[in-house]
Amino acid sequence: MLFVNLCMQGLLQGGIYALIAIGLTLVYGLLRILHVAHAGLYTLGGYIAVIVTNTTGSFSLGLMTSMLAVGLVGMVIYRLIYQPILDKPPFVALIASIGLFIALEEIYRIIFGPYGITFAAVPLQGAVNFAGTYLRECEIAAVLLATLLIAALTLFTKHSRIGIAWRATVTDPEMSQSFGVDVVKVRYLNFFIGSAMAAGAGSMVALMNNLVEPTMGSVPSYKALAIIVLGGLGNVRGTLIAALVIGIAETFGTIYLGDYLDRDSIAFAFLILVLMVKPTGLFAKG
Amino acid sequence: MGAKSLFKCFLPVAFTIALSALSALAMTDSPIKIGVNVPLTGFAASDGESALNGAKLAVDQINKAGGVDGRKLELVVYDDQASPKESVAIATKLIEKDKVAVGVSCSYSGATRAAAGVYQAAKIPYLSAYAIHPDITRAGDYVFRTSFVGEVQGRAGAKLVGDLLKKNRAVLITLNNDFGISLAAGFKEKAGEYGVTIVNEYTYSIKDRQFGPIVAKVKADKPDVIYATGYFFTAGPLVTQLRAAGVDATIIGQEGFDTQTFIDIAGTAAEGVIITTSLGRDSKSQETQDFIAQYEMMFNHKTDMVAASGHTAVKVAADAIKRAGTTDSAAVRDAIAATNLAASTGTISFNSLGEIIKDVQVQVVKDGQFHDFAVISDAKLLAPPTE
Repeated sequence: MLFVNLCMQGLLQGGIYALIAIGLTLVYGLLRILHVAHAGLYTLGGYIAVIVTNTTGSFSLGLMTSMLAVGLVGMVIYRLIYQPILDKPPFVALIASIGLFIALEEIYRIIFGPYGITFAAVPLQGAVNFAGTYLRECEIAAVLLATLLIAALTLFTKHSRIGIAWRATVTDPEMSQSFGVDVVKVRYLNFFIGSAMAAGAGSMVALMNNLVEPTMGSVPSYKALAIIVLGGLGNVRGTLIAALVIGIAETFGTIYLGDYLDRDSIAFAFLILVLMVKPTGLFAKG
Repeated sequence: MGAKSLFKCFLPVAFTIALSALSALAMTDSPIKIGVNVPLTGFAASDGESALNGAKLAVDQINKAGGVDGRKLELVVYDDQASPKESVAIATKLIEKDKVAVGVSCSYSGATRAAAGVYQAAKIPYLSAYAIHPDITRAGDYVFRTSFVGEVQGRAGAKLVGDLLKKNRAVLITLNNDFGISLAAGFKEKAGEYGVTIVNEYTYSIKDRQFGPIVAKVKADKPDVIYATGYFFTAGPLVTQLRAAGVDATIIGQEGFDTQTFIDIAGTAAEGVIITTSLGRDSKSQETQDFIAQYEMMFNHKTDMVAASGHTAVKVAADAIKRAGTTDSAAVRDAIAATNLAASTGTISFNSLGEIIKDVQVQVVKDGQFHDFAVISDAKLLAPPTE
């Protein structure tokens, strides 16, 4: 039973990582920018979810507001921070992104205080026991949300017009532009969807921890980088699998390697191992 | 020479005398400066704010009561981001430029340990409010600590579990930093003596908030007590997740749990959690009661152990300067070493190494508040290191 419980915890953790990392890999795929500040939007998602839930009493409303608002903030960040420096070398955008991430953490601290905020009445905390295994309702909700969002993203990119244009732009920006794809629109869409997914993850983590603190994004900021490298930069399917693998590796690692390795180092140990064998990541694109 | 020219002649002299008298007056009236390094930004900012608020309240109380020997107390505060790199530069600045009489660290171990050497070299007394690393006071005879070293509190935890609660199957969930490890070391050192068996020990990093794997394993271990080290932001989620999984063992925490935010996070799961700490919420001591009430009034936030430690450190400094009757650093150092003060964290004195001697307060969460559970005052068990 311990084994099953650990597997479920691993998948849960992996699902959360996937929601964060997919936005990051989308941005990289399209613009070749390592968008470190993405984790700051994940934190913002948590803050908005808690504040709206505490004001209105509805977590679903909090979650939706959070995803929508953070999606818009993502677009604004693209417009104000990245667009003006797109023609500069990649490290310029990376430095801007790291700076923005640090600034966001301090802005949250100034606005919301250093202690973090909690739900006034935290919903979905009951435990569901099933044949010796257990999950909290909020954890089940997190897995459902992750599945739903990732499935929706897949359908969207495969079957909608703009989704197909998006994939085309990722593959060959110049060619798709000459076929009449509005590249700028695709970029905004990209930031909106990626940021909204991170906000979804932030909201669910806020629910599971009942705590949103200014530095909530610090671990995801670098762990998501490890995941997208492992998944083959820019590859959504690879990122999803890498996130689940890391989630499970960490879960078992915490119990069986915890005496030797910090949980956060497990992801990187795994990353180093994979890169030694396959330098392009598990699922590099063509 | 007429009266007028006489006056003219004397005017500059009189003016000079008046001026020097004024400046002499200003000298005695100039505030006594206490230097503070504290993390106000970065990951430790919540503890930093609490500790600094505690220190500010102490200054406010002292100044309202007439100051120290008629002189006001003034804090000179710099943000060290809990980083040794910052704290060393800050210590130098506080000593050389601000000319502080005493330094107080409202910061974590890394930053405090690094700054302690600078204060020792300059022979300016330095008080560590709540940093836990044993090496801090080893910097020399000008460095003191107004909170417990981890091992002492860990030993008190073992007594609490084995002797007061009569539990014997313990699982340790240890925060993997100097704080968690030194607490666990103290607990393990004395566990056997009190008949406590350690079934298993798990470690986690300060950044962890999801404890699913550990909780699943602890559930399988079936302990009757869990000695969990951590801070409120790790302990809140940990306790919630343990209880949600149906683990009903008694949970023992320490001063890192000691803030209302812990109870806000864990909600009903926090009920019955017992902690070893420095702040007795139901204490009869006037100093402690005043501190709790005035802190909430001044900052509109429930107080915590870190705030009480910042408060205590400033009170110790002020008390020593008052008894020394001067801000001469050697005299103040000797006065600190001879401290016997009723502070918000209890009646305190120091041993030869500058480590605090006081009782351990045991608190339990009941109806969403910390309340007194017991006091551990076994002098031999709680003896801090002397070298």
